[in-house]
Amino acid sequence: MGAIIVSGLVSGALYALVAAGLSLIWGSLGVFNFAHGVLLMTGAYAAWWISSPDGLGLGLGIGIVGALAFMVVLGLVVYLLLVRPWIGKANAELAVIMTTIAGSIFLQNLILEIFGGRYKTIDQVVTGTVAIGGTTIQAQNLLVIILAPVLLIAMWLFLTRNRTGLAIRAVAQNQDAAQLFGIGVERIYIATFSVSAVLAGVAGILLGGLFNISPDMGTDPLLRAFVVVVFGGLGSLPGTILGAYAIGMIEAFSSYYIGIYWTPVVLFVVLIGVLVVRPTGLMGRPT
Amino acid sequence: MSMQGSRMQTTGSPPLLEVASVGKSFGALAAVADVSFALRERDILGIAGPNGAGKTTLFNLITGTPFFPDSGRVTFRGTRIDRMAPHRIFRLGLARTFQKEASFANLTVEQNVSLGATYGAGLSGRARERAVDAALERLDLSAMRRQPASSLTVYGTKRLMLASAIVVGPKLLMLDEPASGLTASEVADLQSLILGFRDDGMAILLIEHILPLLFGISERVMVMDFGRKLIEGPPSEVARDQRVIDAYLGGQSEAAHALAG
Repeated sequence: MGAIIVSGLVSGALYALVAAGLSLIWGSLGVFNFAHGVLLMTGAYAAWWISSPDGLGLGLGIGIVGALAFMVVLGLVVYLLLVRPWIGKANAELAVIMTTIAGSIFLQNLILEIFGGRYKTIDQVVTGTVAIGGTTIQAQNLLVIILAPVLLIAMWLFLTRNRTGLAIRAVAQNQDAAQLFGIGVERIYIATFSVSAVLAGVAGILLGGLFNISPDMGTDPLLRAFVVVVFGGLGSLPGTILGAYAIGMIEAFSSYYIGIYWTPVVLFVVLIGVLVVRPTGLMGRPT
Repeated sequence: MSMQGSRMQTTGSPPLLEVASVGKSFGALAAVADVSFALRERDILGIAGPNGAGKTTLFNLITGTPFFPDSGRVTFRGTRIDRMAPHRIFRLGLARTFQKEASFANLTVEQNVSLGATYGAGLSGRARERAVDAALERLDLSAMRRQPASSLTVYGTKRLMLASAIVVGPKLLMLDEPASGLTASEVADLQSLILGFRDDGMAILLIEHILPLLFGISERVMVMDFGRKLIEGPPSEVARDQRVIDAYLGGQSEAAHALAG
């Protein structure tokens, strides 16, 4: 039982990090970033390349800091190349789905070309195991369980206290009015993408410490994050976080009691059930 | 430009805002066509016209939100603004309110005003606090400063938009139907607020369907119809003009006439 809950909390925490970034971009720009999964993967590769003896060999600390700095830049590049040219034009939503899918295919294959298809491993940030209440947990799992809420709270404080955070929310609510408050929407979009990319990078580095890293490691988390965002309510950050943990738990319990092959079925049955009762998701606002 | 008020002819300095032959089409529909007017400091110009006449579109063209004009020029304080990013126009001293509530509902009243002070006026620290406090005080919102903007009444939301607009100390305030949905006593309160802003040195551009207010405080009134400027002049002249009565005033012309006279 303890192990199931730990597994649910770890998945929930990772889904929350990935989905929060996705939700942030949906909330302010009204587009889905299908490159979010490869951002996660790229973050993991950046950390591996900087830290591993097979790469620059600078150690995990510099690897993490360097990877996150790289994510800020990558977020900017994704926004400028794949999103910005279509914002404000007709069918921007559809165009950006296509451009970000194209971008993610490109990046994924670029990574494959550069680093090859063999699995790599990042060192765990913390090693060993911890015994809590009769259950033995890998220390890295415990780190994920604790770090994700800390980061999400930090993000919430940023959005409610910081002037750039407030401006992000203002732009999300009413772009025209925000501009006429003197807010440069362009800069805010760039900030949004960078924050989102950093969250994806953190998820990638944590995931890379738990499993292997490979060019397609972002695909599954992205799919789950979409389910989470729809389940929790589009554009609602509390809903997204609640949805992430709910889905992590549902997966963990159904894998154990029903079987791993049935988990996606259970997941989508629950999703469909929620959408029938609440078409806007758990905490979504009607548009 | 034969109908300009006397102030226009006696002063020699260039106008605060000059709109020259501005136009915007959506497909075959000319939403705004060849509209020109000028506004001096501390002027109040009222804009009237039936729904769909292009009044709000004209505002949108001046502020570059959400689109720029297809043709014509807009000059504000000697600077061309018809291709300028909207947030930079605001920083030049041109503030605007919207017809629909356009405060940020999830933010507090204070945060709303603070955003304008931060991004519009570039204030921070003590100076920002003082500016925000003064704007909240002016619009009688101090008691509600920690409430979410969504909790305000209709007039409260209008006052919040005004507070966010004046916090930067604009030279021109553009108001899009500020009185819609207000009670008679609220309209009277709004009227004295607007006149107070003018006395503080702001020019006012006012779109309003409540004609007693529009004709009561405007020094000049411009009437639009089908995207074009029909007439511009002192309220008394405009209210008597047969084209205006035909196009727009209809049953209200008696009232408008009486007020303007």
